[in-house]
Amino acid sequence: MSEGNLRVCMAGLELRNPVMPASGCFGFGKEYAKYYPLDQLGAVVVKATTLKPRFGNATPRVTEVRSGMLNAIGLANPGMDQVLNHDLPWLAKHDVPIIVNVAGQTEDEYCQVVAGISDSGLAQAIELNVSCPNVKCGGISFGVDPQVLSNLVEKVKRVSTLPVFVKLSPNVTSIRDMAVAAEQGGADGISLINTLIGMKIDLTTRRPVLANKIGGLSGPGIKPVAIRMVYEVAQAVTIPIIGMGGIYTGEDGIEFIMAGATAVMVGTANFTDPYACPTIIKEMSQFMEDNGIANLNDIRGCAYA
Amino acid sequence: MIVRVDKIMHVSPDIWELSFVGSFPYEQVNAGQFVNIRIGTGYDHILRRPISIAAVDQENKRLTLVFRVVGDGTKWLSGRRVGDDLDILGPLGTGFPIVQGKSILIVGGGIGIPPLYQLASELNEKSNNIQMVLGFRHQADCFWLDRFNQLGEVTITTEDGSLGQAGYVTDTLGKMKATGKVWQYLYSCGPMAMLRAIREQFRGTSTQGYVSLEEKMACGVGACYGCVCSSENQQSAKRICIDGPVFPWQEVAL
Ligand SMILES: Cc1cc2nc3c(=O)[nH]c(=O)nc-3n(C[C@H](O)[C@H](O)[C@H](O)COP(=O)(O)OP(=O)(O)OC[C@H]3O[C@@H](n4cnc5c(N)ncnc54)[C@H](O)[C@@H]3O)c2cc1C
Ligand SMILES: Cc1cc2nc3c(=O)[nH]c(=O)nc-3n(C[C@H](O)[C@H](O)[C@H](O)COP(=O)(O)O)c2cc1C
Ligand code: FES
Repeated sequence: MSEGNLRVCMAGLELRNPVMPASGCFGFGKEYAKYYPLDQLGAVVVKATTLKPRFGNATPRVTEVRSGMLNAIGLANPGMDQVLNHDLPWLAKHDVPIIVNVAGQTEDEYCQVVAGISDSGLAQAIELNVSCPNVKCGGISFGVDPQVLSNLVEKVKRVSTLPVFVKLSPNVTSIRDMAVAAEQGGADGISLINTLIGMKIDLTTRRPVLANKIGGLSGPGIKPVAIRMVYEVAQAVTIPIIGMGGIYTGEDGIEFIMAGATAVMVGTANFTDPYACPTIIKEMSQFMEDNGIANLNDIRGCAYA
Repeated sequence: MIVRVDKIMHVSPDIWELSFVGSFPYEQVNAGQFVNIRIGTGYDHILRRPISIAAVDQENKRLTLVFRVVGDGTKWLSGRRVGDDLDILGPLGTGFPIVQGKSILIVGGGIGIPPLYQLASELNEKSNNIQMVLGFRHQADCFWLDRFNQLGEVTITTEDGSLGQAGYVTDTLGKMKATGKVWQYLYSCGPMAMLRAIREQFRGTSTQGYVSLEEKMACGVGACYGCVCSSENQQSAKRICIDGPVFPWQEVAL
């Protein structure tokens, strides 16, 4: 690999580069494998998995807004059994670490799914989704109360042999408090940000465009919010951070590293361009070379250091 | 893929025909599939726009789309000029099954009509007997009638009676059915209300139907679960962009 300057180690995971597709924006990998070999990626993060299959919300559940999009998918997924029997075995044949995003409505449900994934030996890490804005009590209550979050992480850690990353919601008063709570619960890392809650109204029907009325805002427009949150969290915790929110270019990725992230996730950009991840990897490596930076550690968190 | 606009013209007041040439897997196209088009180059429009493949010219390696201007994206598309580049993905989705030597009814409504031209062309090559009922609002909205006429027997309906039979396609279908005529296959694309009414009309008959559905999309490749419809038994989700847009009509909830 020519992108040797991008190698990172995080929570015991050795990654060939810090770029991974964000959960919900890459399915279970299969669809994008038609465009490029998945082993170019730092890791693959799969769609939120729940204990039982979920259809999700009514349609329309995606729509474009200026410099971004709104989604109210509602954690649609085929359920843990199908994921363990079909989706992960297919993905595991590729030479790329797998991170499974897990969602639930109760502590017990989270623990059952985490245990199932962990015991299967098919994944390398868990990403705990406590931040989906699109389902009632589907995770978000865990994502807004520090004490509740800390308890959940503690319980999940007991049943997992895999590193656990906690994915935080930006829809809170203090992202710092949530990150600290996750770390106290024993999280191995933090990923942020999930989508910001938004709405779009159709002037003809005079009603919200999304059937769910509200949805999560993602894409280029949210990047400054995400950078600020990574910058704040990086100074408050010692565990590694995976940053995301509006990453479209290698320079966007570098900006997150400078804000304090160890790795980055790319979501909406995959929809605009299916080759977004490999392009961003190349561009990040090029930036390093052009600026004489040998290792990402040399610039990580430099914005506040 | 970057392709080059080769032709762009009005075919009715708000409907445009656009052809492109350039590197594209033309030979892989099945009728009913679509392409996903990037709008502009910056960050204003980050979701691609799905447009059905209306015609493929395999010999000259050229693909044609027909679209209605309804918002920013299609407006931008209508502003392309010959020689401009287009960033497209495709062909995407699962199209219509192409049968051989059968009696076929093709029913289209409004801007659902374009993909039915490629369908009729492919079916026409397989010695099928093709009847078509194409519904428009007014005479001014009609496009490609001469082209469709070369592929089978066409009945036009307009809501205001300005051309062909007055009323909806279902009114005409009712009359055609009443003559005792039976079709082995029915293929349809158009507004949801039309698809629903047609399926109702043919419930309990031996006609096997296929419908092409539409939904707002984000990825267009099956990864985001944005564009789902539910299966007829409400048991599972089908992704319109990859499992469809064409479905056997007994498999989806309309
Ligand atoms: C499989 C498929 C095939 C299609 N084929 C054709 C075709 O051949 N000719 C044609 O004129 N139109 C077709 N459409 C509809 C076309 O995609 C929309 O009219 C177009 O996306 C509108 O974009 P806009 O920016 O002009 O409108 P806006 O309303 O500004 O679009 C806002 C957002 O909503 C989405 N959207 C709006 N209307 C629709 C719609 N009806 N279906 C899906 N997404 C929508 C847009 O893609 C965009 O993301 C097809 C749609 C699908 C799903
Ligand atoms: C269509 C869609 C589906 C998503 N599904 C999930 C999900 O299942 N689990 C999750 O943790 N985040 C989900 N997200 C959030 C993304 O992973 C990411 O946090 C967010 O979109 C910000 O990154 P971006 O601007 O690069 O898209 C989803 C986002 C989108 C756009
Ligand atoms: S548009 Fe993403 S799954 Fe169909």
